Amino acid sequence: MFTLLQIAARNLARNRKRTLLLGGAIAIVTVLLVLLTALFNGTQASMLRNATTLSTGHVNVAGFYKITSGTAAPVVTDYVKLRDIVEKETPGLQSLVVRGRGFGKLVSDASSQVAVVSGIDIEREANFKNILEIVSGDVNRLSEPHAILIFEATAERLELKIGDNVTLSSQTFRGANNSIDCKVVAIAKPLGMFSSFFAYVPLQTLRELYSLDQHTAGGIQIYLKDWEQAEQVAAKLRIALDKSGYRVMDHMDLPYWRKFDIVKREDWTGQKIDVTTWMDEDPFMKWTLFGFRALIVIVFMVLLAIIIIGVMNTLWMAIRERTREVGALRAIGMQRHMVLAMFVTEGALLAVISSTAGVILGVIAAYGINAAHLKMIKGFQMVLMSETVTLLVSVPTVLLSLLVIASVTTLGSILPAWRAARLQPVEAMHSSN
Amino acid sequence: MHMATTSAPQPIVHLSHVDKDYKLGAVTVSALKQVSLEIAPGEFTVIAGPSGSGKTTLLNLIGCVDVATRGEVVVAGQDTGKLSEGDLTRLRLNALGFIFQSFNLVGVLDAFQNVEFPLLLQKKLNGAQRKERVMDLLHKVGIADYAHHRPGELSGGQRQRVAIARALVTYPRIVLADEPTANLDSVTGTQILDLMQELNREGTTFLFSTHDPHVVSRAGRVVRLVDGRIVTEPDEQSQSSHA
Ligand SMILES: Nc1ncnc2c1ncn2[C@@H]1O[C@H](COP(=O)(O)OP(=O)(O)OP(=O)(O)O)[C@@H](O)[C@H]1O
Ligand SMILES: [Mg+2]
Repeated sequence: MFTLLQIAARNLARNRKRTLLLGGAIAIVTVLLVLLTALFNGTQASMLRNATTLSTGHVNVAGFYKITSGTAAPVVTDYVKLRDIVEKETPGLQSLVVRGRGFGKLVSDASSQVAVVSGIDIEREANFKNILEIVSGDVNRLSEPHAILIFEATAERLELKIGDNVTLSSQTFRGANNSIDCKVVAIAKPLGMFSSFFAYVPLQTLRELYSLDQHTAGGIQIYLKDWEQAEQVAAKLRIALDKSGYRVMDHMDLPYWRKFDIVKREDWTGQKIDVTTWMDEDPFMKWTLFGFRALIVIVFMVLLAIIIIGVMNTLWMAIRERTREVGALRAIGMQRHMVLAMFVTEGALLAVISSTAGVILGVIAAYGINAAHLKMIKGFQMVLMSETVTLLVSVPTVLLSLLVIASVTTLGSILPAWRAARLQPVEAMHSSN
Repeated sequence: MHMATTSAPQPIVHLSHVDKDYKLGAVTVSALKQVSLEIAPGEFTVIAGPSGSGKTTLLNLIGCVDVATRGEVVVAGQDTGKLSEGDLTRLRLNALGFIFQSFNLVGVLDAFQNVEFPLLLQKKLNGAQRKERVMDLLHKVGIADYAHHRPGELSGGQRQRVAIARALVTYPRIVLADEPTANLDSVTGTQILDLMQELNREGTTFLFSTHDPHVVSRAGRVVRLVDGRIVTEPDEQSQSSHA
């Protein structure tokens, strides 16, 4: 009934101060939610970008090779065959790169550190070249044998500059120690919290370190058009590879360098394929995002609770003021459910208008913040892997925020409205006052 | 219309041996005692009596907003003791009209919308029919010029006129009013009474309560309550004997 809407709107307008106060609170909460979720999305995007540049694809097809049951090498033999299957069987494939996987020690005259060493084919790493910010040197020189790219923190710790030599030493998968000398050709700006533990050499150099032939690789990093499909794609690939005759490892949500000890203890030899997602390979990112999301949920719950209390309070007041009016309407024949509808309409109208206003303000604020290129606080820079505050406004998230806030506040109006509906018509008969 | 088996018209309201008790903690207040009463179509009846005598209680029972503790209350042919809350509400909407002492209009709706409201609840008429009916009643009560004024912009007398139009708009079987003139000055009160009397002559049945002897004197019939009982005074016996 249109009149109910009219009554609701006019009553809201009549109690302007009260309406503005509560509506403002709802709008502010909506703005906060829009900004927080945009910050989450922005952080997730930049973390994902960093992680998928450094050490993982959206999905990875790699594996372990065991010469004897007591060893474990992060190696796949005949990677070309594997790559062909992956290319054919990956739905929504954007691109893929083949990388070598290693783990060793970087030793300079000054100092040493452990590092996750990836073997790359720089000519096929357009994305890698795009995202890395090179401070000095030339990333393209990674095509030269025994070249190495390190991050700034490593360069400082080991007192290295372009052209210096650094020894990369590791245990081969047969258990012998091996080392090669590499020349620093590029130093990159940090890319998130853990980038200083990463170093890059040509794939062939890594093979030399581990005495592997040229048909081997560490694994294939797959980039999807829609990264959110990673889990499903990984599951599909496991089945497809199994059908192609590979032995596929059970899923474990650990990065590959934490699987060595597990795989070493396992009683099998030969090749097994391991399909993982970015979440498995970067647990830090996974837990950071999880924590961030949990924080948003908690903050949001608290704010929502406050709003619900506000809505209930306001409606209580409205109902008390209009007790006689409601009693009269009941007396002249308005059914209980109509009274309920009348007050819920009032709550819903307030909720919808103010949360819509909040969304609009929030989106404008998000674009404003992005345009201002605000610097992150140092601590957050580390955790959120980004120097500036980058907000990513996504339409589905915003619509979801709108829906949640509007419907929850509307829900808050049901209890008082229900109480109003229970009002007895005799209330209207009470003599004046 | 039902074919009546007797020549007397079917009463709109029929109460027999009605008691109404209110429980106040351990104490039971007996607000109405053994009240029997019939109201026939066309009556212009006043319930008179001192404060606390049970006038409001009686009107509430007839108005289907409260139910009797004992006895039978039949309104528009329906035994109200046997009806559900929803049915009572429907009965009020379709058979009764209410005028309140303090008007009780919806503050944010204008006069027209207030009068239209019961028709919207009934859902029987379309927009054009509603408009015609509402304007007709606003003319009758003499405030057609104020159709688009909200209650806050109207005087007490004007508000009560709107309330009367609202009570009449559904063509109820009977209009109930609990002290409809108590919140008005005597001149305005008299005007409202004139209006009600005129509407009665046109066929509307009225039952209302009052303290005011001046109002009582204009009634077609007086039901006098004392201490929750109907007392029949000698000179009124002849008037009410036909019921
Ligand atoms: N809701 C209630 N709870 C308890 N007692 C009530 C209630 N309503 C009325 N009473 C009592 O019932 C008796 C009749 O009250 P009622 O309001 O019907 O009188 P009245 O004739 O309308 O009085 P007035 O002229 O002052 O309006 C009084 O004793 C009153 O105190
Ligand atoms: Mg009374």
